[in-house]
Amino acid sequence: MRKAAIVGMGYTVPQTITPQLSYREMIFEAAVKAYENSGIHPKDVQSFICVSEDFLEGVSIFDEYVPDQLGANLKSVHTISADGIFAIISGFLQILTGKFDIVLVEAHSKASNILNPNEVIAFAQDPVYNQPLRLNPHYIAGLEMNRFLYSSGNTREQCAKVVVKNKKNALKNPLSAYPAKIEIEDVLNSALLSDPLRKMDKSQHADAACVFILASEKIAKSITPNPIWIKGAGWCSDDPSLETRNWDEAVYAKLSARQAYKMAGIQNPKQINLAEIDDSYSYKELQHLESMGLCRKGESGLLLEEGYFEHDGSLPVNISGGNLGAGFLFEASGAFKIVELILQLSKEAGCRQVKNASLGLAQVWRGVPTATGAVIILERED
Amino acid sequence: MGITEKINDLRDIKSWHGEMPVQYLYTYGIAGEKLFRAIKDEKKFLATKCPDCNFVYLPPRIYCQECFTNLENSWREVENKGEVHSFTIVYLDIENKPLDVPEVIALIRIKGTNGGFIHKLGEINPEKVNIGLEVKAVFKEKREGNILDIQYFKPV
Repeated sequence: MRKAAIVGMGYTVPQTITPQLSYREMIFEAAVKAYENSGIHPKDVQSFICVSEDFLEGVSIFDEYVPDQLGANLKSVHTISADGIFAIISGFLQILTGKFDIVLVEAHSKASNILNPNEVIAFAQDPVYNQPLRLNPHYIAGLEMNRFLYSSGNTREQCAKVVVKNKKNALKNPLSAYPAKIEIEDVLNSALLSDPLRKMDKSQHADAACVFILASEKIAKSITPNPIWIKGAGWCSDDPSLETRNWDEAVYAKLSARQAYKMAGIQNPKQINLAEIDDSYSYKELQHLESMGLCRKGESGLLLEEGYFEHDGSLPVNISGGNLGAGFLFEASGAFKIVELILQLSKEAGCRQVKNASLGLAQVWRGVPTATGAVIILERED
Repeated sequence: MGITEKINDLRDIKSWHGEMPVQYLYTYGIAGEKLFRAIKDEKKFLATKCPDCNFVYLPPRIYCQECFTNLENSWREVENKGEVHSFTIVYLDIENKPLDVPEVIALIRIKGTNGGFIHKLGEINPEKVNIGLEVKAVFKEKREGNILDIQYFKPV
């Protein structure tokens, strides 16, 4: 099934702070590049999809402030929350209706503007049952990490190795804000945040903007000889209540991956040869790999130690550096995972190039306290 | 298209410091009312059970999220004991400043339910907490009908 493809993209480089631009100018920069690189003009675009979360921008009804910097004034603009992968999926669905041939998708993060991001995350908790405890919200990741180590048998050292791998991968990625060469001990000795979670187990935020041009099968080849096809997509929301959800598995990841595999006609997840997945906290990469069936339960840590997920391994994971190495980009984190997949599938990943990359998977999670995620599977034009 | 003049002098960076001073009343609803009234007046936990799939909701809900069955008449009292399903020791406050005393926070799976509470553990040495530890609720003397009426959970 080849119905919609990504035919162009533009992005700014993830940075820890972006004081010299307003968020709208940052998005404008990404949009200019996307239009230039695809040869598309704003007037060609029939629908615009933006991602925002009002509390991250500090403006309620933030999506009122998106059209002008994208060339979308007086056009159809549709805003969704969550993440760039959800937005790409929405664009994909619009194209599948047959009513739209060119759709622009935008995602960004200007987290540096938020003076107390913990409050925003804490405010996402149930106001009656959880917020009143007034805890640092990363306690939820501490709870989940502890349970994950208990039920999967993976170790803290293996979680720390995820941080080492991803920050090292980021050293080769110009689109990263937190590249570093570190050792497992650096992670294990970093300050305790919410035991067993330590400071270096947690990704740090960064700013960036990203714009994609999506096109229908009908016209994709007239825009680029190498469209990247959207082969499968899935998205899922589990129980919003912390008290009753399953803490032993990332069920949202399992089900959204299953939906995507089915749409893509993938019987065995081993067919995936490149993955960019959520590692907002170190243990999440291992948990997501297991939940999505990219390795067996309890095996992720061992496979990681054996090099299975390294650049030259059987399934390179987070070659971009992931959230730990590139930066946690809030609604844009899924977008930058897609950027990496596109660069790899297009053979434009330079020193990061994975030789046989042909079928890539990008996955995202909405972060604590949510149990929501999405998966998209991309394939290059052969 | 594009930006041709950019700020490249740090002294030219300006911004406006804004704030969202919003307040809300989060009404408990039918389920929350019943639970917190029972906690306040009788130090009891009430849950709802789905007659179709047997899922027992605590905190209670008047609908089953799986079967969409109405649970308005499916209430039951449950014990105020449970076991630690997971725990963490929190070292930083919400502003990332170190806490004077690290707090032990647990997800307590209340007996006979598929849920429970997220709350503090008290009267315990943090080194002695483990998953599976049996605990019971300690209530405040003066209760107001909210989640903080539970002071903490302590080992049985």
